[in-house]
Amino acid sequence: MQRFTGTRVTRVEDPRILTGGGLYIDDRQPHGLGHAAFVRSPFAHARVHSIDTAAARAHPGVIAVFTAADLARHVAPIVTQGPPGMSCPRFTCLATDKVRMVGDTVALVIADSRAIAEDACELVEVEYEELAGIGSIARALASDGPRVWDELEGNVLYEEQTTYGDPDAAFTRAAHTIRETFVQHRITNCPMETRGVIATYEPGRNHFTYIGTLQGTQMARFVIGSALALPTTNIDVILGDVGGSFGQKTSLGHEELAVCAAAKALPGRPVKWIEDRTENLSVGGQAREETVTVEAAVDADGRILGLRLDMVLAGGAYPTSSAPITTLVGTLARVLIPGAYDIADYSFRHRAVFTNKATYVAYRGPWAIETWVRERVLDRIGRELGLDPVEVRRRNLLGADAFPHKLPAGPTLSGITLRSALDKSERVADWAGFRAEQASERARGEGGKPGHPGQPGRPGRVLGLGVVSFIEPAPGPADYGPSIGFNVPPERAMARLEVDGSLSVYTSQAPHGQGHETTLAQLAADELGVPMSAVRIIHSDSRTAPFSMMGTGGSRAATVASGSVIGVARAVRDQVAEIVAHMLEANPTDIEVVDGVARVKGSPDKAMPLAQVAMTAWLAPHYLPPGRDPGIEATFDFRAGDGGWTQSVHSCFVEIDPETGVVKVLRYVVVEDCGDVINPAIVEGQIRGGIAQGIGEVLYEHSAYDDDGTFKAGTFMDYLIPSSMEIPPIEIHHVDATVVTQEVNFRGVGEGGAIGAPAAVCSAVEDALSPWNAKVLEQYLPPSRVLELMGVIPVER
Amino acid sequence: MASAELPSTPALPALPTAPLEIPAATVPVTVNGMRHSATVEPRRTLADWLRDDLGLTATHLGCEHGVCGACTVLVDGDPVRSCLMLAVQARDTAVTTVEGLGSVAAMHPVQQGCLEAMSFQCGFCTPGFLMAITAYLARREQIAGTQSAGAPSDDELREALSGNLCRCTGYQSIVDGVRRAWEITSESSGA
Repeated sequence: MQRFTGTRVTRVEDPRILTGGGLYIDDRQPHGLGHAAFVRSPFAHARVHSIDTAAARAHPGVIAVFTAADLARHVAPIVTQGPPGMSCPRFTCLATDKVRMVGDTVALVIADSRAIAEDACELVEVEYEELAGIGSIARALASDGPRVWDELEGNVLYEEQTTYGDPDAAFTRAAHTIRETFVQHRITNCPMETRGVIATYEPGRNHFTYIGTLQGTQMARFVIGSALALPTTNIDVILGDVGGSFGQKTSLGHEELAVCAAAKALPGRPVKWIEDRTENLSVGGQAREETVTVEAAVDADGRILGLRLDMVLAGGAYPTSSAPITTLVGTLARVLIPGAYDIADYSFRHRAVFTNKATYVAYRGPWAIETWVRERVLDRIGRELGLDPVEVRRRNLLGADAFPHKLPAGPTLSGITLRSALDKSERVADWAGFRAEQASERARGEGGKPGHPGQPGRPGRVLGLGVVSFIEPAPGPADYGPSIGFNVPPERAMARLEVDGSLSVYTSQAPHGQGHETTLAQLAADELGVPMSAVRIIHSDSRTAPFSMMGTGGSRAATVASGSVIGVARAVRDQVAEIVAHMLEANPTDIEVVDGVARVKGSPDKAMPLAQVAMTAWLAPHYLPPGRDPGIEATFDFRAGDGGWTQSVHSCFVEIDPETGVVKVLRYVVVEDCGDVINPAIVEGQIRGGIAQGIGEVLYEHSAYDDDGTFKAGTFMDYLIPSSMEIPPIEIHHVDATVVTQEVNFRGVGEGGAIGAPAAVCSAVEDALSPWNAKVLEQYLPPSRVLELMGVIPVER
Repeated sequence: MASAELPSTPALPALPTAPLEIPAATVPVTVNGMRHSATVEPRRTLADWLRDDLGLTATHLGCEHGVCGACTVLVDGDPVRSCLMLAVQARDTAVTTVEGLGSVAAMHPVQQGCLEAMSFQCGFCTPGFLMAITAYLARREQIAGTQSAGAPSDDELREALSGNLCRCTGYQSIVDGVRRAWEITSESSGA
């Protein structure tokens, strides 16, 4: 009776989104609104000697001006919780003695309009004493350099080292040792809708309402409650349509907390802050800045015997207000670095350091550094040993008979199909055909080098192919959570058969583009036996959402939200069957629900529309089985089972213009196993969107700072995100899904594209540049870097 | 360079500590077929005027510096970044926003095409894309005149969309949506 699941049902969200009916944070214009704007630091690092707000306060239309001193009695300092050993200073949402990044919040103006608030910000006089700033990991680690936090010994926030097996023994056996340092640059999530909030405090009922842009509703209540000294239960968090996030809107930032404090100080008046793009690019949250030194012990056949990894993550000046992401990324990378390759012996050191940069936040596949570094190492092995890079992967992947396989750090791999994905990729992407074309183009060039930098018109195209394979926990097996330090609770859904026979489903997910109103309705409609129009998915409101600290993220919803919704819809159907069986004098197991009508199998005249069942259940309970409570409501808790790994092979084909260094992605082929698919169009959209971000990350995007921490990419003219001209058509092929958990065999695809693409693009560029013996050790490959790698221009350091 | 070496220059007049008070102007504009006579501050952008004064909040602001295209509206049929145009510059024009394009009950072919192709995800960039696509297809038809211009190629569509940024989709579904919109338009004009 599967009617909707697995098909390209058009999205429930689209009629409103396509006709201007979406309700994003800035579309709300409540009466009496105060508009917020921030006075921000122009310096990366400076002492604040004085702040004079008198002129701003006197400006017509200004409602209030706050400095840290003014807000101190309304908001507590922020203390990020983290693992033992994390050095975490307390900080305030407006700067006190120091500013620690360009754009740091110094004062907050509330006015009758945003324009007046910005005018008044110009009138705030701040006396700074500029200090030396830290714009690089090297400067952060320098023993005699500046410190972001005066009260800490140095700039190291957290350090851990773990060894699995016996990597030292592996190095004594190694035929080859490869040692490289890989550098991942800082980028930003860049959702098209920036952050925003409308906060209102009602003193009469000591109640706080936070309407904002987040990925979940419940965690924010705790953060706001502890900051404002309000009971968590007196705080409502409501999200409307949210215009993308990609991890950026996981936590409340300094601005959101400052606006909450201002709202508390201005009782009865809603206060709105809408981040502008420059604020978003400079301080909205940035991600991914890591340097990893790798030593690989490799046998004569190209098999990895052991690894030593030393990672440093540049975390910015302030931790996030909730999850300690800079430590977590190290944990995730440590656990996941082997992927589905046979790597048992390795050591992993992780350090997170403070720098004078924006807060490091989660970004689509926060642990992606492990895939990028591992796949880079596999390519290096291929070059060193003269092996085809795909052959290196085949030699290192765990065998098909190896599963279930316990990763050294704990999680169990099962249902891994990467070998079939490689075989299928070989066919559908036609690597051999491309290799033949590449060889003939190279043969046209002089000395095996196609084209010729600096000499226009020389023959031969510079072509490259990158192939990478990886797995991602989406959501991972039951033992994944404990291995990264989380005991993940089950996912709860609640449902009510409304009096008109329609189904309301309550989820803790807070979608912001993922289309959960569609996919979850597909599943619920099929499970209950009603049209999709009879299902409404209710989300993003702390007043109705089942309790969960997680919300939407981590590619979890496809499994856990689906499982909970299927379970709760089934529980409703079972209640319907029980009631109908009683009323029609049949056996509950003989009741089926088809197209909104409950009927006795084989007796088409014995039937009741669900509206009649629901009306009876709610309004005429005397017809119900004796002792049964009125109404039809259900709760279901879903706990994911084994498996839970989404797996992909990405094949990226590039051409490099040897005159300009511009890399063009010619073709991109994905072969993946995400289990069964609820809605192919939504799955494809997630994968393509992630890959577009991954391509952008390598070729265009860079949250650039100089060594002192001066920020250089505050507009879309400096921070380039790809347009339709830069992203090729992306072909997606599924491999026959492995069934690990029979009941719910859907797995997440939100992050995989962004995890795999940087590795695939870098691999392809290195392949294209192999006639020049270029090593791609840095992930950022703008044209100037490509020309450096080709030796056309000198390396700038 | 020491300042003593510079020739003396007359002292600059002191900058005003508050913005210059420029009187608000009254501007007649037609928006989605409705005539408005707006009294606006000269510095108010067309986007802010549409959103905040008229309550037409479908037009979104993604960057406010003219790059992302989320705020694209039609001014006398031409696509315009409403974040870069002042409301006073819209005097005596006809502005169309996505609220004026079509309704849920009667979608414009561009909306219908994007619905069928499932073009968008978070929906924030969507109004700007819809207006840019509408202008592109209309211009294409205009150039072709009574002749059929034929189905647009993938390259043509990608170039037509390149003035608008989307962070969610990787653009392929939007390309498909425009192609579908073209088909719907062609089918209805051929019928």
